[in-house]
Amino acid sequence: MRRTLLALSVLMLAGTSSAFAQQVTPIVHQLENGMTFILIPRPGDPNISAGWVTKVGSVDESAGITGVAHLFEHMMFKGTETIGTTDAEADRRVIEHLDSLKGQIRRHEQELIRQQRLGLIDDWKNVEHRTAEHRDLLDDFETALAEQKGLIIKDDFDRIYTGQGASGMNAGTSNDFTVYFINVPANKLELWFWMESDRLNTPVFREFYSERDVVHEERRLRVDSTPTGLLNEQFNAMFWESSPYGWPVIGWPSDLYGLTREEALDFFDVYYAPNNLAAALVGDFDADEAIAWAEKYFGRIPRGPREPEPVRTEEMVQQSEKRMTGTAETTPQVQIRYHTVADGHVDEPALLVLGQILSGRTGRLFKSIVEDQELATQAFGSQSGLKYAGSFQVVAQAKGDTPPETVEKAIYAELERLKGEPVGERELQKVKNQNAAGEYRRLQSSFGLMVQLLIFEAGRGWETINTSGAALQAVTAEDIQRVASTYFEPENRSVAIYYRAESAEPEDPRLAGLDEQERQTITMVGQQLAGATAEQLTPLRQQLAQMEGQSAQVPPENQDMFELMIELIRERIAELEEEGE
Amino acid sequence: MSLRKTRQLALLLTVILMSGPAALAQQEIVDHPRDLVFAGLDFEPPDASQHRYELEHGAIAFVVEDHELPLVNIALSIRTGSFTAPGQATPGVASLTGSQLRSGGTASLAPADFDEELDFLAASVGSGFGATSGNANMNCLTKDLEACLGLFFEMLREPRFDEERMNLAKSQSRQSMERRNDSTTGIERREWSRLMYGNEHFSTQALTAADLESLTTEDLSAFHQFAVHPGNFLFAVSGDIEPDMIVAALNSYLSEWPVGEAAGDVPEPGFEPQPGLYLVHKEDVNQGRVSLGHLSTRLGNPDRFALQIMNDILGGGGFTSRIMSRVRSDEGLAYSAGANFGFGVHYEGSFRAAFQSRSEAVARATAIVLEEVERIRNEPVSEEELATSKASFIESFTRNFASAGQTAGLFASFEQQGRDFDYLNTYRENMAAVTAADVMRVAQEYLHPDRLVILAVGNVDDMLAGDPDHPDVLLEGLAPAGNVQRIPLPDPLTMQYPEQ
Repeated sequence: MRRTLLALSVLMLAGTSSAFAQQVTPIVHQLENGMTFILIPRPGDPNISAGWVTKVGSVDESAGITGVAHLFEHMMFKGTETIGTTDAEADRRVIEHLDSLKGQIRRHEQELIRQQRLGLIDDWKNVEHRTAEHRDLLDDFETALAEQKGLIIKDDFDRIYTGQGASGMNAGTSNDFTVYFINVPANKLELWFWMESDRLNTPVFREFYSERDVVHEERRLRVDSTPTGLLNEQFNAMFWESSPYGWPVIGWPSDLYGLTREEALDFFDVYYAPNNLAAALVGDFDADEAIAWAEKYFGRIPRGPREPEPVRTEEMVQQSEKRMTGTAETTPQVQIRYHTVADGHVDEPALLVLGQILSGRTGRLFKSIVEDQELATQAFGSQSGLKYAGSFQVVAQAKGDTPPETVEKAIYAELERLKGEPVGERELQKVKNQNAAGEYRRLQSSFGLMVQLLIFEAGRGWETINTSGAALQAVTAEDIQRVASTYFEPENRSVAIYYRAESAEPEDPRLAGLDEQERQTITMVGQQLAGATAEQLTPLRQQLAQMEGQSAQVPPENQDMFELMIELIRERIAELEEEGE
Repeated sequence: MSLRKTRQLALLLTVILMSGPAALAQQEIVDHPRDLVFAGLDFEPPDASQHRYELEHGAIAFVVEDHELPLVNIALSIRTGSFTAPGQATPGVASLTGSQLRSGGTASLAPADFDEELDFLAASVGSGFGATSGNANMNCLTKDLEACLGLFFEMLREPRFDEERMNLAKSQSRQSMERRNDSTTGIERREWSRLMYGNEHFSTQALTAADLESLTTEDLSAFHQFAVHPGNFLFAVSGDIEPDMIVAALNSYLSEWPVGEAAGDVPEPGFEPQPGLYLVHKEDVNQGRVSLGHLSTRLGNPDRFALQIMNDILGGGGFTSRIMSRVRSDEGLAYSAGANFGFGVHYEGSFRAAFQSRSEAVARATAIVLEEVERIRNEPVSEEELATSKASFIESFTRNFASAGQTAGLFASFEQQGRDFDYLNTYRENMAAVTAADVMRVAQEYLHPDRLVILAVGNVDDMLAGDPDHPDVLLEGLAPAGNVQRIPLPDPLTMQYPEQ
């Protein structure tokens, strides 16, 4: 399986969150079980970008099962009753045996957790505290796992797709939705219908407990062992008081230890039922044939036991400013976050445009705080509207020995300026021109269009892909002044300030302007690129061409990362060309 | 197949059907995807000669139209790079010229004004020069094409090379330089090149702090004058343009531009790698990075198809390849592993298998890779491996032409490398014709266990000590020709290697 550029695909998602008005007119078909198909036949290139979305994310979880939505992103590649096993019946018996052992082990763990809570033992994970019975159960569990290993066909799902020329298989989980996507050659569309309907119809969550550990490891790498991972998690949890957006998508560690396969199955039954799903196909196919296959393959999956309910818990209105400070091996920085509005709110377009006025190489924050005052190396602001609530965030990295508090004051001065006087005509027009061009650029790639259709459908319906661009073009200078005055109030904000830890080494200057998540993305891209071989030159060049075409539509806050990524890909392509193709 | 598309988006109708299963495809669902029957894919690659234009002063353009969206993309590759320079130029001048071409403003526009103009037009423009080619690109709305072409060519022909922007770039470059020995990835890359191509070749010349310090805007202007002229230009144009119009527009910029000095040939290394085990010590890391291989062959090699399949099965094919599945499945032996058989454009490429693993597992993982290199030479690959590998190449071939931009770019890279375009027309049949016997033959002919260079970067003491549970497998015991050498870390600013 050539799952090459995961991080890039994730970025594509990030890069396509702004709105546009170029009309997209798909053929839409809904099955009786409620699943929606959004189809855009685009003859020419003999490939099809195919994907589906389920309207579930971490916001739909509850205490005790945080992280379960993301865990599915892993479990869905583990096979089905047909795929991934040499003997489905024996495999099922082992899985049930494993569940029962895990249940018994869990009771021992709960007792140890209780003892730790009372201070009777230091760490419940310390093996020395385990009783003989507990150890025997763990041994039995290992034995059963070894038995299962003989029944598993590793990476079968990947292998079948790869052998048929499919590429770019991947998935992603957000606060509000989960997407699964791939590219297939134009004559292999039925394979996509077979494979995707099969994993929704008869999934088998084999290797559940080991995959849970893999996710745990992922959490350790991405949150616990990065300089600001835990601080950012704390800041997010501080910002959201009552909303479920306060917990991380990857989940709290204790939940990741405790999640059971039964809990996952319950979650699956409600949220992976066809009435909660939508699929999108963009590429070279016949719509009638696709609809017939949709009926045949996905039509057999029954509707879920109940309709998923909207999230009940609303965010409390903030009463006073919240602040935190932290120390980390990172560039000193300040993050300021205001409660604003959810995706689609009437004030959102003005907040989005406001973010663009502030950001980018020719934006106000860069010109004023980075270039003129030389206080920061990087500064940007952006509105982020989630399904149930939203926020506006300004982030800046302090330059040299400048205290982050000085940068913070300079940011407030810029925000006050937005309240005090309307933005200039040319300044506003520049942003509108970029949005107008972005409307076309984002349609260039079939893959990108497919992913956007899924995201819009998961949000307020695919039709909103056609209305959000016009809303941005309609924003006036007065609108921007009004929303700045409405939302940028001290009692409505949370502020995090990070100081550099004494031991921190100077870092790669190219990373200076990036936040922690972006650094991780860059690191991941770097690792993937280092592992890329000359066989992947073609996909790399494709990726580069696609990214170069898109660079003007990338949200300003990701611009630096995007450019660095392009630079890294260029470097790697040049190297591989040097090594030879 | 024509890549010219009509305005399909405008023609699509929104049809919302609430139900009603179509009468098509009512057969039973097959039990396993292997039983699905697929129609053949009717695809012929577009004909490069239909898209090729000779411009003024020897420049070439490939133009691929796509009128679906009002966007134009121009990717210019420039025959230059660090392999060439006017007279006694300072190393590093090519790279800095390439990045400052875009950053440093133009004759009439200060850098910030140039940025502002492009942002207002919502255009994206970039540039950069590598080892054997340079590039500059531009993407804009059709309605702004004239204005953007004006800015693009002003940048190409009359860059300002603003001193302040150059100094900023130099200080960033200097900071990266100080960190040269920090990452094992960077060390591995550098030392592998030196082991394959020697210390004298341009491709292994590292920029020193003194070189960087000495570079002036005059140096950049001189390199620009030498390298950036129509005789070195190859355009890939795609999107919403009429070929005649864009050719005329490009010519109007090129015709008054005198042709400069030809770039000349890329020098060959003329170096014979020495088989052996080479160790680079990095105290503070717990992971070893290993590269293992030797020189390979060049692009035009007729055995290319069998070689690609051989490499794919051995280590190129990701999770399904032998090296990956053996090294990974052996519990935590390596986080990633693979192999690449390179086909050099200007000189021989290299065959390189590589992995990263914890220090004590390096010896065992190396032994496994060596076993796999021997196995693919001595046993025919299985029919299933062969079929999966061939299918993945053949079935994904069309992805090369997924957009007008990719098609134009692919043609341009063939032109640049002097390759025969017929390769694209016969690719799938040539790939399909490869047999298990071919794979074994090329493995025997092109993989040479006796010539292997093994490079290991990491904590050398831990790597040499190996795994206490497997005392029989030691890294030194695997050294080709019994040759074990240590490579010290150079001073990151002078790139002088200490005497051992």
